[in-house]
Amino acid sequence: MSRVVLVPGTLALLPEYAGIEDPVAALRATCLEAVGWLGAEVSVLADEQGARVAAHLLASTPRTGDEPSYLVVGNGSACRTEKAPGYLDERATGFDADLARALTAPDPAALAAIDPETSAELLAATDGIRSLGDVLTPDHVATVDYDDDPYGVQYWVVRWTARLP
Amino acid sequence: MTLRLGRHEFADDATLMMAIVNRTPDSFYDRGATWDEGQAHERVAAVVAEGAEIVDIGGIKAAPGAEIGPAEEKARVVDFVAQVRASYPELVISVDTWRAEVGRAVCEAGADVLNDAWGGADPELVDVAAEFGAGLVCTHTGGVRPRTRPFRIEYDDVVAAAITDTVAYAERAVAAGVARESVVIDPAHDFGKNTFHSLEITRRLGEMVETGWPVLVSLSNKDFVGETLDLPVGERLTGTLAATAVCAMAGARIYRVHEVAESRQVVDMVWSIAGRRPPRRAMRGLQ
Repeated sequence: MSRVVLVPGTLALLPEYAGIEDPVAALRATCLEAVGWLGAEVSVLADEQGARVAAHLLASTPRTGDEPSYLVVGNGSACRTEKAPGYLDERATGFDADLARALTAPDPAALAAIDPETSAELLAATDGIRSLGDVLTPDHVATVDYDDDPYGVQYWVVRWTARLP
Repeated sequence: MTLRLGRHEFADDATLMMAIVNRTPDSFYDRGATWDEGQAHERVAAVVAEGAEIVDIGGIKAAPGAEIGPAEEKARVVDFVAQVRASYPELVISVDTWRAEVGRAVCEAGADVLNDAWGGADPELVDVAAEFGAGLVCTHTGGVRPRTRPFRIEYDDVVAAAITDTVAYAERAVAAGVARESVVIDPAHDFGKNTFHSLEITRRLGEMVETGWPVLVSLSNKDFVGETLDLPVGERLTGTLAATAVCAMAGARIYRVHEVAESRQVVDMVWSIAGRRPPRRAMRGLQ
């Protein structure tokens, strides 16, 4: 029974960018708990920066078990507010809502079909999320541990496990 | 090396704000603002609220003036130290005195540090620091007597003189039994120095830091700032903070100050620029 986790690619999770106070403390705790739920061996689905985030989270969590495990690094748009990194884009909310539906259903075909160009325009990190189309099946069940946009960027922490037959 | 000041310990990368609290009617900057005991307590409360780790309580102004004997000096500071000790157990209490007799009395009252601004004028002060496990600030004054102004003092190399004298004083303190991790050196801007000397000390402070002894700087609103900018007391904060920034870049650890909040911001900012302190909270560009 495979285990799959999605975490956002915020670089604030990396130790080289640690401040005295952690601006993503709640998110970090949720990420660590979810990643700790994965098995000992984990396949990472992420772009280059996301892979660094994944490596740090994996190195920070003791894990056991031989369930096939996947750690996906990605997030929704970064254009949700005027203060967001990409400024307000009217398409952002709808884009993220569609993405949320595809993640939680889950809808592997819809995830595989995410438009890379729109993602890039909305500064959404979806390379790893598109790969979920090859990993998730409609038999997987999603648990959403985190769903917020504290800096104008849509973050999710989601765990999936296959439904028992 | 961990810095130990009496009953308090600090990491070897910590910077400390030492807030000046004068128990005098005539100090140059505050002109007796905390001569009244109630106002002195208010000053302590204020600087603690601003984040000062240390208060430096002094009963005699540095400049020449009416003779203040040991009995009067003790009357000004000892009970006050005991009251501050009782109210602020976590606060480092330093007392600015050169007299061993006064040092003994304030240590009995709870002082953690003896700040000998006059460079070992009383040779028995080190014995008191050793006996009570107190920290000791070893300053450079060029050999002048306490409460005298510099007059035509010159040095072949003021920085070398400051290093030689303060390190010798520090080693003498250690030999007398003061813990090595409780000894701090201070080039003592303005003391036994003209403005050119103090500017050179500031410019080359890194050489003092390289000795390995923690360095304290006392820059606040001093004449070398005033003469450099041609500004009277009361208009020297910007110049003080500029000098503070330079000393922070060089690695000074303790800052004896009138303005705690402003000095803390400058030191934290420079410490972070130097890569010795992370930002408080960084999210820009990392979202």
